[in-house]
Amino acid sequence: MLEIRNLSVSVDNKEILKGINLSVQKGEVHAIMGPNGSGKSTLAQVLAGRDTYEVSSGEVTYEGEDLLALTPEERAQKGVFLAFQYPVEIPGVSNLYFLRTALNVIRKARGEEELDAMDFLTLAKDRMAALQMDDSMMQRSVNAGFSGGEKKRNEIFQMAILEPKLAILDETDSGLDIDAMKLVSDGINKLRSPERAIIVVTHYQRLLNYIVPDYVHVLADGRIVKSGDKSLALELEEKGYGWIEEVAAEGELVHS
Amino acid sequence: METMVAAAENLGVYLESFEALGRRAAGREPAWLKQRRERGMQRFSELGVPTTRDEEWKYTSLSELRRNDFRLAAPAPRVISAGEIKSMGFNEIEGCRLVFVNGRFMSGLSCLEAGSKEVDAGSLRDFLESDPVEAHLGRYADPENHALVALNTAFIEDGAFVRIPDRVAVEKPIHLVFVNLAEQAHQVSHPRTLIVAGRDSQATVIETYIGMGEAYWTNAVTEVVTAENAHIEHYKLQHEHAAALHTGFTYARQARDSRFASTSLSFGGRLVRSDTHVRLDGAGCECVLNGLYAVTGHQHIDHHTIIDHAMPHCNSRQLYRGILDGHSTGVFNGKVIVRRDAQKTDAIQSNKNLLLSRDADINTKPQLEIEANDVRCTHGATVGQIDEEAMFYLQSRGINRGDARSLLTYAFAADIIDNLNVEPLRKPLEQILLSWVEQAEVSA
Repeated sequence: MLEIRNLSVSVDNKEILKGINLSVQKGEVHAIMGPNGSGKSTLAQVLAGRDTYEVSSGEVTYEGEDLLALTPEERAQKGVFLAFQYPVEIPGVSNLYFLRTALNVIRKARGEEELDAMDFLTLAKDRMAALQMDDSMMQRSVNAGFSGGEKKRNEIFQMAILEPKLAILDETDSGLDIDAMKLVSDGINKLRSPERAIIVVTHYQRLLNYIVPDYVHVLADGRIVKSGDKSLALELEEKGYGWIEEVAAEGELVHS
Repeated sequence: METMVAAAENLGVYLESFEALGRRAAGREPAWLKQRRERGMQRFSELGVPTTRDEEWKYTSLSELRRNDFRLAAPAPRVISAGEIKSMGFNEIEGCRLVFVNGRFMSGLSCLEAGSKEVDAGSLRDFLESDPVEAHLGRYADPENHALVALNTAFIEDGAFVRIPDRVAVEKPIHLVFVNLAEQAHQVSHPRTLIVAGRDSQATVIETYIGMGEAYWTNAVTEVVTAENAHIEHYKLQHEHAAALHTGFTYARQARDSRFASTSLSFGGRLVRSDTHVRLDGAGCECVLNGLYAVTGHQHIDHHTIIDHAMPHCNSRQLYRGILDGHSTGVFNGKVIVRRDAQKTDAIQSNKNLLLSRDADINTKPQLEIEANDVRCTHGATVGQIDEEAMFYLQSRGINRGDARSLLTYAFAADIIDNLNVEPLRKPLEQILLSWVEQAEVSA
């Protein structure tokens, strides 16, 4: 579904990603872990189409198409979804209006009928109940004045409504208490299906107790320095990132 | 010197129109009105059209008024249909509606019965002999220091009069529609409005300015006086023809415990100046001045506000938002004066501007003049662009760039629109703004 080959990305002439290779198939859940500043969020943002980054080399294909040639909205319409690490506040635009607009654009791109206001509200209430979100959230402006936890939940809520094919979750667990994390994880697990792929970007192993990944990759200094199964996450938890950073500094790639 | 010469050069056409009006009104207008009009003409001849050397007109050039002779538009030159009015962007608002064409009341297009029977609302001409008109007309507007107010005063012939008696609350809005119908270029009309709110009264008054024809000029003056504990909600919707000049001056005088909330909604016109001057003349008053302007192309829009806190324990709130696209230019100059006796004044002023184009330009200047020592006053002004982070967020949810831009532009105005208490005004305004945003998008 997603093939990243030798992807290098820089911002202000500073290279942040230095030749990433990653292959994600339908139905798989990949976790990308790594210390702060390793380039995890950059990778997530580049996949969603953020234009402040410059792709200096490499390519990304998504369902056989050149992903990097698509605008952010085209990617979203084709099923790519990024749950933001820092969701943006948009005062003056209600969650309801925003999300219904987004859903209908995406449904149209999929060749589906647009949802009317009533049907949308039914769908939204159902998804909100699953995330234990208050109905009043729909009337509030997008993320405006939301707590950190509410913002993260709102991201997962959007994902649950838009039903993407490829979901990239950028540190969705950061700042969540354990109850909120369980809810969010449930939301993500509900979306797991043989037709979908999920990339979970996280700093902490904790989340992976709830969302069990098929693969774990460790990113350090712009490179994937180690890949393995879920046991790699536990190993990291035990040994910390210091060990990985040493490996990265030596420039030695470790395969397990 | 140049000012004097320019004024003198131009005076001819105004004098001609003034004399013609004098002949028309002879024997019909009361002596006091004739006197006030003559004084207006005299002051205008002395002051002349303001130049950019005048601090109050620094960024707004009226050179067009000096280059061209603006002749007084014939009052109601022909009968127009409701459909024509609609085509100019007028939207039906239920309630009492008074329509004026080139300043002249059009009874055929107006409906009075929808309003409360207790309210006097109609043609100023019909009320010229009444005491409140003589007592209030021209008492708050300042022709002595403002040339265009003087000019308007010189040409008072008709206009809108609204009087809400003591203790009367009018439920539905009273809508004053001023149509400038210019059959040829360079015509001016001088709409005049007087709103007198009695003790404990309450009403909503909407002024709408629209027009058709080329390069006409609307020079409007509105006076509002609120007696003790009166509540007046006032809206000015300026939706003039794209080639029009609009200069408008609203003066309000508040007695104790009264509330005056005025919202300026300005979209039309090529050169627009809109002043609001409120004097809080009793303790415990509340004054709210909100504004929303959205301009593009080569439009120029200038808002000047003065809130004069003369007495203690008054609140004032000002929130002006501007959206500027294309090569448009804007000015916001908001002054809050707190006089020595106005202790415990609580005044907040904010002006925020969104520039959608690199070629658009705004001059914003909030001013505070405080003579009292126990007051709370804050003011601020911002100028910004569309937030790229927010753009990316919307795009990442599938919303295309153009729609995302429209959505964010619209959201910028949401504060003002959400504060509209007249539900029937919200819909047309949303439509105006949405179509504006779409047009801006096309030209971007």
